[in-house]
Order: sequence, then structure tokens, then C-alpha cells
Amino acid sequence: MATTNLNPRAESYRRSWVIEWLTTVDHKKIGIMYIVNSFLFFFAAGILALVIRSELAIPGLQFLDESTYNQAFTMHGTIMIFLFVVPVLAGFANYIVPLMLGAPDMAFPRINALSFWMLPLGGLLIFSGYLFGGAAAEGWTGYAPLSSNADKFSAGVGTDLWIMGLVFVGTSSILGSVNFITTIFKMRAPGMTIFRMPIFVWTVLVTAILILLATPVLTAGLIALFIDRNYGGSFFDPAAGGNPILWQHLFWFFGHPEVYIVILPAMGVVSEILPVFSRKPLFGYRAFVYATIGIGLLSWSVWAHHMFTTGRVFLPFFAFMTALIAVPTGVKMFNWMATMWRGSITFATPMLFAIGFITMFLIGGISGVILSSPPIDFHLQDTYFVVAHLHYVFFGGSVFGVFAATYFWFPKMFGRRLNEKLGKTHFWIHFIGFNLTFFPMHSLGILGMPRRIADYSPDAGWTIYNLMSTAGAFMIAVSIVPFLINVVATLINGERVGDDPWEANTLEWATTSPPPPYNFDTLPPIRSERPVFDLRHKHDAEQLAIEGTPIGTGERP
Amino acid sequence: MSVDAPTSQTADMGPRLEAARPQDNRGLSIPLVGMLLFIASEMMFFGGLFAAYFNARASTPGEWGPPPGAEELSPVPLAAILTVILIASSFTMQFGVWAIRRGDQGKLRMWVGVTLLLGILFLSGQLYDYSQLGFGIGDGIFGTTFYTLTGFHGAHVFGGAVGMTILFARASSGQFSARNHVAVEAISMYWHFVDVVWVALFSIIYFLK
Amino acid sequence: MRRTVAANRWRMALRAGLLFAVAMLLGGCLVPREPATTQAETTFSLYILILVMAGIVFVGVEGFIVFSVFRYRRRDDRLPEQIHGNNRIEVIWTIIPTVIVLIIFVFSMGALGTVQAKSPNPAVTVEVDAFQWQWTFRYRDDDNDPNNDYSVTGSAQQPPVMTLPVGQPIRLVLHSLDVIHSFYVPQFLIKEDVVPVPEGTADNELEFTIERAGTYSGQCAEFCGTGHANMAFSIQAMEQADYDAWIAAARAGESPPPAPPPADATVIELNAKNIAFDTDRIEVPAGKPFIIRFTNQEAVPHNVGIYSGGTELFQGENITGPDTTVDYQVPALEVGEYDFLCTIHPTMNGTLVAQ
Ligand code: HEA
Ligand code: HEA
Ligand code: CUA
Ligand SMILES: [Cu+2]
Repeated sequence: MATTNLNPRAESYRRSWVIEWLTTVDHKKIGIMYIVNSFLFFFAAGILALVIRSELAIPGLQFLDESTYNQAFTMHGTIMIFLFVVPVLAGFANYIVPLMLGAPDMAFPRINALSFWMLPLGGLLIFSGYLFGGAAAEGWTGYAPLSSNADKFSAGVGTDLWIMGLVFVGTSSILGSVNFITTIFKMRAPGMTIFRMPIFVWTVLVTAILILLATPVLTAGLIALFIDRNYGGSFFDPAAGGNPILWQHLFWFFGHPEVYIVILPAMGVVSEILPVFSRKPLFGYRAFVYATIGIGLLSWSVWAHHMFTTGRVFLPFFAFMTALIAVPTGVKMFNWMATMWRGSITFATPMLFAIGFITMFLIGGISGVILSSPPIDFHLQDTYFVVAHLHYVFFGGSVFGVFAATYFWFPKMFGRRLNEKLGKTHFWIHFIGFNLTFFPMHSLGILGMPRRIADYSPDAGWTIYNLMSTAGAFMIAVSIVPFLINVVATLINGERVGDDPWEANTLEWATTSPPPPYNFDTLPPIRSERPVFDLRHKHDAEQLAIEGTPIGTGERP
Repeated sequence: MSVDAPTSQTADMGPRLEAARPQDNRGLSIPLVGMLLFIASEMMFFGGLFAAYFNARASTPGEWGPPPGAEELSPVPLAAILTVILIASSFTMQFGVWAIRRGDQGKLRMWVGVTLLLGILFLSGQLYDYSQLGFGIGDGIFGTTFYTLTGFHGAHVFGGAVGMTILFARASSGQFSARNHVAVEAISMYWHFVDVVWVALFSIIYFLK
Repeated sequence: MRRTVAANRWRMALRAGLLFAVAMLLGGCLVPREPATTQAETTFSLYILILVMAGIVFVGVEGFIVFSVFRYRRRDDRLPEQIHGNNRIEVIWTIIPTVIVLIIFVFSMGALGTVQAKSPNPAVTVEVDAFQWQWTFRYRDDDNDPNNDYSVTGSAQQPPVMTLPVGQPIRLVLHSLDVIHSFYVPQFLIKEDVVPVPEGTADNELEFTIERAGTYSGQCAEFCGTGHANMAFSIQAMEQADYDAWIAAARAGESPPPAPPPADATVIELNAKNIAFDTDRIEVPAGKPFIIRFTNQEAVPHNVGIYSGGTELFQGENITGPDTTVDYQVPALEVGEYDFLCTIHPTMNGTLVAQ
């Protein structure tokens, strides 16, 4: 059997590096492939976003006709969510979680490789619609019957490819989550009790459970959709006794947990970074864990807050449950604040992005609570206010988290630290551009501009805000350039910073950077959620007992 | 089979594993945990389809059942027979598991073989049933839900049968022992799950009129 | 090293402060336009209440973060006190949001009651038919025969206008002929989805009482396909008296039976199905009036118009199927090529050749 490629020696020689990467089952290589793959899709979807913004800058149809525009935002949303945020976080989890647990690899290395390779496959399927007479154009939510009746409303294979692609991507993340949960339950190093696990691991655990239970429901829905489109089914066809609203229930029963799937790991990242750069433990570790679990539980009972205006859901229950999620999330917010309070804070780029996360996610969270009030949602639903909300949580939340993680763990992955000057330039252009892009969208929504429109009337008074937003979008694009330069330059000849440049807390820093195959030669004793911190600050016999893990004292920026 | 990846992995992990020994010796073995989780997600998948079924029932104003023209669905004889077959196959599978736990490879091989046959019998029986029913997947909401649910269950039985074939092959080449037969345990779990789903399907479609 | 940190601090201070100032200014108004219905009034005040609470939370949290960022930046290598938590304060900051949430919930439910209240017998009931990608507004009258109701259907050239009286409860019955649409009037601070439902299921209904006369623009808010952006309409609110006059005139001007066609005229058959004509080319004799026998085979309104460049030469009225037929009598055209299209669905078009 293929067990040989699990053997470090067998890997190291008689293989070109290409083959090695293509056939690897090493969680670190797979993690990096996840991340690179996701960023490529991010650029693609981002460029689509620029197209969208250019079209919307001023009234009138300048560059696109309606159907091209509809394909653009559908692809933008789908790719960003399913092929950027979710996988990129899975990628970091792939690389970091086994290290944080002191494990040699994931529980199922080969399934791990499988779930990675399904991603580019699914992504290309989704995109390939463009080659076959137009990609899907029903929005990332693909509402029926628009999406379910191929004869009348959504002809063309674009939507079918979209469905198939999503099934692949979904299966990939289901297998991935099986892998994560098993790894976290079964592969922890001695002493790594469940309440000594780093918060990032906790968030990945809860996320994986959400994926495991939510994604199959989407798959079921997608299959029903496919049957309606291609085999004369009538799940969503009112004329034949079907019910279009059923799709919304299935989609959002998955869709709302999904949004916490993309935020929780980012929260985990921030909860790892804030303590390191405040040189304090995370305030209220257990409360934070319970809050994470609480969010996980609540996220099952709120899906219909996307359906307030359908007139077919029980508003009070869903409104209450939705608003209630502000409480556990608030606990996390306050824990982060209290972690910085009385700390000794340095502002390396990861920290900047982490602070960016909490400041921006707050705005997204608050706009969420505003939307959770049905009467107000009657006004704001499907307007740009929602678009603003979703970008503040997705971009200001998850994506800031992703960049924080990138700057924080880059030295772990390559032994070199990203240049701080370029990093800070990236952050500030990014941060300002982000607010310039998405804050005005709140006003657009409140003034009543619906989403998903390619064109709007010049005398609606929306033009000025759209102009700002477009300008901001290009600012974000510009900010990506120093980032790309930074990555390339650093890989070529970045500053080598030893094993633990940030004076960090968790186990991944107790091995070399980058770690050897199977990660650890020796492990420090694990007596708290900060084993490496203990190692650095408790000067007693144990530390001498540990060989081969010198704790680098990297230059502080 | 990827289910036994970790075992073979631990095999050649060498000294490093000594340093970072995962605590996978307590409780269920890694592959079984994986299989249980996978089954959990499968439950949600069928949960989604069942939700669709009930939603369709609820939103259909008139009589719920096959489209006019086609005669009523009746649980007897065929559907009932199929049910018996599948339940029986769960038992034979379990006998196989017990056999290999005792280290009895011959019995394992026999029971897996029987289970495989029953599985195939079930599938062919279902196909025959399809051919007899007077309506198709395109004939109204009932047809759609009926064929989707039973069809996807059938697909799972087929998946199980494939796994069973592999088990049979490996059992024949004596790859399992009392101490090392995790694949058998895993696939039997899956088989029981598919069985349970059918019982739910059967009772809902045929008796919850 | 200390210096760089200090420098950072000031640059950050400047940028951060500046940024939020700019963002808020640019963000501009976070308050809706003046609400135009009694229901909207309620929503509006609820919104202001929640906005204020949100503002407090926002300023509180962001303020604390910015403060910590400047106050607790690293000054030396001494390790700060390792605080792991504090139960009392954690309980407090669990309770505070809970209270805020409860307040928001209670007030929301109160407002919800008012917004969704339905009056026993509204003064005007309009049946709103939404279809790809236009609206039909049908004014119910006393005889319950929908066919002779006065109705307005919009076209790509001119969005439909719904004329309504002020100060009276208005009821809209939202019915979809194809996919899900949404009836949205920003200044009423409300939208309701127009959902296609199985036979026998009730349509969504929306009720409001307009307070001030005026024109309020609205449009479809649920993505419904290619033409989603073009599903605009407007509501023309006027005093009761003016409204009565208007509706009377409108009903009087109901379409008279079409005159019998001239015996010798050429008749061209044209059918519409699945939002498409069955041909994209029609040939007619030049210089003679002719008849287009137009059959609409589906339950979606269509019409036929003949244009040369942008200018209208002929415009037939809308008919709604299934299988409704009308004879359009088209005036003589001189030799040349013209466009014919359904002005409701401009994607339905073709060439008409007169020779
Ligand atoms: C990362 C993704 C993410 C996250 C985390 C959230 C978080 C939340 N979302 Fe959001 N949401 C989306 C992604 C996300 N959302 C997307 C993509 C859509 C649009 C989908 C589409 O239609 O395309 C959407 C749409 C959406 C809607 C439907 C809008 C509509 O279409 O009509 C609603 C309505 O209730 C909502 C509510 C909320 C709430 C209450 C939260 C809460 O979890 C927020 C909680 C956080 C805070 C509140 C801040 C911190 C808390 C404190 C500081 C405590 C004190 C604060 C208070 C008491 C207010 N969201
Ligand atoms: C994680 C999720 C995510 C992210 C990060 C973004 C990022 C952005 N989004 Fe997106 N967006 C969604 C998720 C996301 N969006 C979703 C779910 C929807 C709803 C879709 C629907 O309605 O169905 C949506 C919809 C949406 C709309 C509404 C469309 C409509 O309703 O009509 C708009 C409009 O402005 C928009 C804009 C942007 C912009 C300007 C960015 C920018 O931040 C993008 C920044 C990135 C770049 C600019 C890429 C730059 C890279 C380069 C330039 C590098 C050069 C290239 C190479 C080297 C290859 N988004
Ligand atoms: Cu009709 Cu959008
Ligand atoms: Cu949600």
C-alpha cells in the first residue's frame, strides 16, 4: 500500500519536488497548498469584484450587460466564500492544528490530500461555466424557482456546473472536518488536555462540527435542485405541488452555520495573536471556549433571519435567537479587549490585522443585530446594507483574520519573517480602502438601493456613495500589491528569524521553523494552554530536560 | 482503503512518534471515530431529504400519493420482502464481525459473502420495483421525492456493497485477525446505518399516509 | 527601538482618528428618508432607538480598544501582570448585552405588531402581479370578476404607476406569475416578497396607510433574473377626492371591443411562449394595413410593438394567456426593415420586413 510515502526517508530522495508536492500527504505541505490555492481564487473573485465596482461606479451600463453582471456577482460571492475564506482557514488549520496539539500529522493523511484536491476541481467546475455559454447567475444563494427551472428561468449548463462544483467543494470540507475532529480528539500529545488546547484548536473543532452537520444539508438541497433542473423533478415547482421556500430553508439551514464556519477560525487566530503581542494570557479562556460552543449551538436556530420578508417564517423566535448570538460574541469581544488591557502591546503586522479584525468585526456584528429586528429588516433586507454587513464580517472579520494568520505564521512555515515595512503599508492602505469601500454601503442600503442590480437611476441620490465605494475597492486592490511583493521578496531572501520570532505561547513554536516531517523531536511538558510561554518563563529543571528545542528570542519590530 | 491509514502511519512513524505519541490508544480507534463522524454527516444528508419529503407533503393541498393513473403504493409484498432482506443482511454482517473478533477468518469470509449477496438482492429487487411502479421521477412532487429518497438510499447500499466486495477480497487473502480488523468494524457500522435509514424510509413512505 | 514605537504611536493616532472621522463623514447618512406611511413612522422610531444603542456599544468598544492601544503599548521588557480572568466582570459583561438584546427584542416585537396589523376592510385593494420583469396592478372593484378590473402594466419604456389615496388603509395582494420577486418602497421602509405559491395557498399581503401626497419610487428587491434591475415602479399618492376622480375616469376608459378587421387584409400569425416569440422574422406587404394575430400561450403578459430605430410606429396592448389571442391592426408601412418586440420583455424581438 501507499504507506511508503508516509516515510520521511522515502520522501526525501528519488522524487522530483513537483511529484513530491503533488503526491504529498504531509499536513504541512497540504496546508500550504490549501492556502496558495485559496489565494489564487481570492484574486480571481477580487478581480470580479473590481469589475462589479467599476460597473456600479456611476449610473448607466458602461462595461457589462445585465446577464454578465449577474454572473459576475454570483461567481464573486460563490468563489469568495466556498473557495477562498473556508479553504484558506482550513489550510491554516491543516498546517497549525497538528503542531499545536503536538501531533505528527492529521489523523487521515491521505483523506486530507483527497479533500484538498477536490477543491481546485470543484472551483474549476464552477468557473468553467464561463466556457460553456455563461456561468451561474442566480446569486450565491441560488434561489428557486429561478435556479430550479432550467427550461424557463435559468437555461444553460452554467448553473448545473455550479451545483456540481459546490457538491465537490462540500464533500471536500466534510471529509476535512472528519479529519480535524478525529485529529483533535485522538492525536493530542500527552498532557494536552481538552482545556489546555489553544483557542485556535477549539474554534477549529467547533467549526469542523458545524461543517460536518451543515454541509450535507446543502448537498441534499443541491441534489434536489439538480433533479428539478435535469430530471423533471418538482421539489421547488409550485405548479406541481413543490415549494420554492423549501430551497431557502435548506440553503440557510446550511448557510447560517456557514457564516460562523468562516468567522470562528478567524476568531481563533485573533485569540492566538492578541495574547502574544500583549504578552498576557487570553482573558477568560474558559468563558471564551463556552462562548464558542454557544455560538456553535445557537447558529442552528437562526437560519430564517434570512427569510424575514418571505412572510412564511415565525418571526419572533428567529429574531430572538438571532439577536441572542450577540451575547456569546460579545463575551469574546470583551475577552479580547481585556486581554489587551494592562498588557504590554507591540504593533507588529499580525497584531495590526488582529486589532483591525476586532474593530471592523464589531461594526459588522452591530449591523447584524440591527438586521435581526424584523421591522427594520423589512426595510434593509436585500439592500446594500446587507452587502455592507456581510463584507464587514467577511472581509473585516474573516479576511483580516486570514492576513493576520499569514503574517503571524509565515515565519513558522518558511523560517523567514515578512518585511514589516511592507506589511504595515499593506495594512493601512487595506484598512482605509476597506472602510472607504464598504462603509458607504450602509447609507446606500438605508437610502433603499437594492443589491444585485447592474444599474440604478441617476436621480436616486446613490451615485456619490457608489463612487466612494468603487474608489475604495481599487484602494484595496492596490494594497494587495505590496503584500504580493512582500511574500515573493521574503521567500527569496527574507530575514531569517529563528524558531520563535514572536516569543509566542503555543506548541507549534516548540519545534524548528519550518518543522521537520512529523513535526517534533521532543516536546516540552504541557501544563497550561501556553506550554512554550511556561518554558520561556519558568526557569526550572524541566527546561534543561528538554533537548533540541532552543527558544529563539527573535528581534522585536 | 484509507480507513487504516493511521495504523500503517504509526507503523513507520519511527522515533518521532515516541516523542509525540498521539493518545490514540484510549477509547475508539481512529478509523472508527472517523467512520462515526462520517455517518453523522450522512444522517444530516438524509435529514435534508426527509425534510424535503415532509415539506412537500405539507404543501400539497390534495391527496398525497402517486399521481392519478398509477395505482397506490403498497408495502406488501415486494417492499416488505426487501426490508426483511436488508435487515437480515445487517445480522449476517454482525455475525461476520463477531467471527473475526474471535479470529475466525473463514466465518468472516462466509458472512461477508452472504451480506454482499443480500445487498445485491436488495438492489435488484428495488430496480424491479422501480420498473413496476406506474410513475416516474418527473410525475409530480410525490414521484420526485419517492425516487430521490429511495434512489439515494439505493446508492448508499451500492456503496456498501462495493466496500463489502473489498472486505471479501481482503478476508479471502486472510488480511484480518482478531487484533487487526478495523476495516471490518468500520464497514459494518456503515452497513447498519444504511439499514436503519431504509427502515425509516420504509415506514415513512409506506405507512405514514 | 523605543523611538520607533513612539513614532508608530503618533502615526497610528493620526491615521486612526483621521480614518474614523473620514469614514463616518463619507459614510454620510445612517438615517432613512422621511417615512411616508404610519407603519413606516413606527419602524423609523424603532430604527432610531436601535441605532442609538448600537452607537453606544460602538463608541464604548472602539473607544476602549483605541485607548488600550495607546495606553498599554510596550514600554520595557518587564512582563505585565498575567491576568487570567475575573468571574465577576465576566458575568457583568455577559448580562449587559443580554439586557440590550432583550430591550431590542421587546421593542421590535411591539413595532412588528403595528407594521403587520391588517384592517378588516381596506379602502383600496390592489392585486399586484409580479412577473419577469414587470408589474401589473389590478384595482379590485365591487363585482368579483377580475377580468373587468382596471389594471396598469408597466413596460421597459415607462414603469407602472400605482395611484392611491392618502389617509386610507391600502391592501396589496402580492401574486407572482413566475419566480420570487419583492415589492419594495424605500420611503415606506417596507418590502414583502412576492412568492409563487401552489394552488390554494394564500398570497402574501401588505398593508399601509400613506400620510402625505407625493410620488414614491419603488422597485423589485428580490433577485429575479436578467431584468431584475429594471423592475421599477412608482406610487402616486393623492387626496381622496382626486383619487376618486382618477379611478372613475380610469374605469370609464376601459378598453372598447376591437373593430372588425378589413376583409382583405393580410393576417400574420405570431405566438409567444416561454418569454419568446415563435419567430424572429415577419414579412408583410408594404403600403397596406395588415393584421398581426397574436396568441399569448402563457400566463405572462406580452404585447407586440413595431419600432424603427427608437421611434414607435405601432404599439399593441398587453394580453395575458394562457392562449389568449388578439388581432392587432397595424397601419401601412413603407418598404423597409423594422424591429418588432414585446415592450415588457425587450429580449423578445425580431425583424419585420415590409416589401
Ligand atoms: C462571517 C460571516 C457572518 C457573521 C459572523 C454574521 C453575524 C451576524 N449576522 Fe449576518 N450575514 C452574513 C454573514 C455573517 N453574519 C452574510 C453573508 C449575510 C448575507 C447573506 C446573503 O443574503 O447573501 C448575512 C445576513 C444577515 C441577516 C439577513 C439580512 C437580510 O438578508 O435580510 C441578518 C439578519 O438578522 C444577519 C444577522 C447577523 C447577526 C445578528 C450576527 C451576529 O452573529 C453578530 C454578533 C456580533 C456582535 C453583535 C458584535 C460584538 C458584540 C458585542 C460588542 C456585544 C454588545 C453588542 C450588542 C448587544 C449589540 N446577518
Ligand atoms: C469573503 C467574502 C468576500 C470578500 C472578501 C469580498 C470582497 C469584495 N466584495 Fe463582495 N461579496 C461577497 C463576499 C465577499 N466579497 C458575497 C457573499 C456577496 C454576495 C453575492 C451575491 O449577491 O450573490 C458579495 C457581493 C458583493 C457586492 C454586491 C454585488 C451586488 O449585489 O450587485 C459588491 C459590490 O460592490 C462586492 C464588492 C466587493 C469588493 C469591492 C471586495 C474587495 O474587498 C475585493 C478585494 C480583492 C481584490 C481587489 C483582489 C485584488 C488582487 C489583485 C489586484 C492582485 C492582482 C491579481 C493577481 C496577481 C492574479 N461584493
Ligand atoms: Cu423581480 Cu427582482
Ligand atoms: Cu445568517
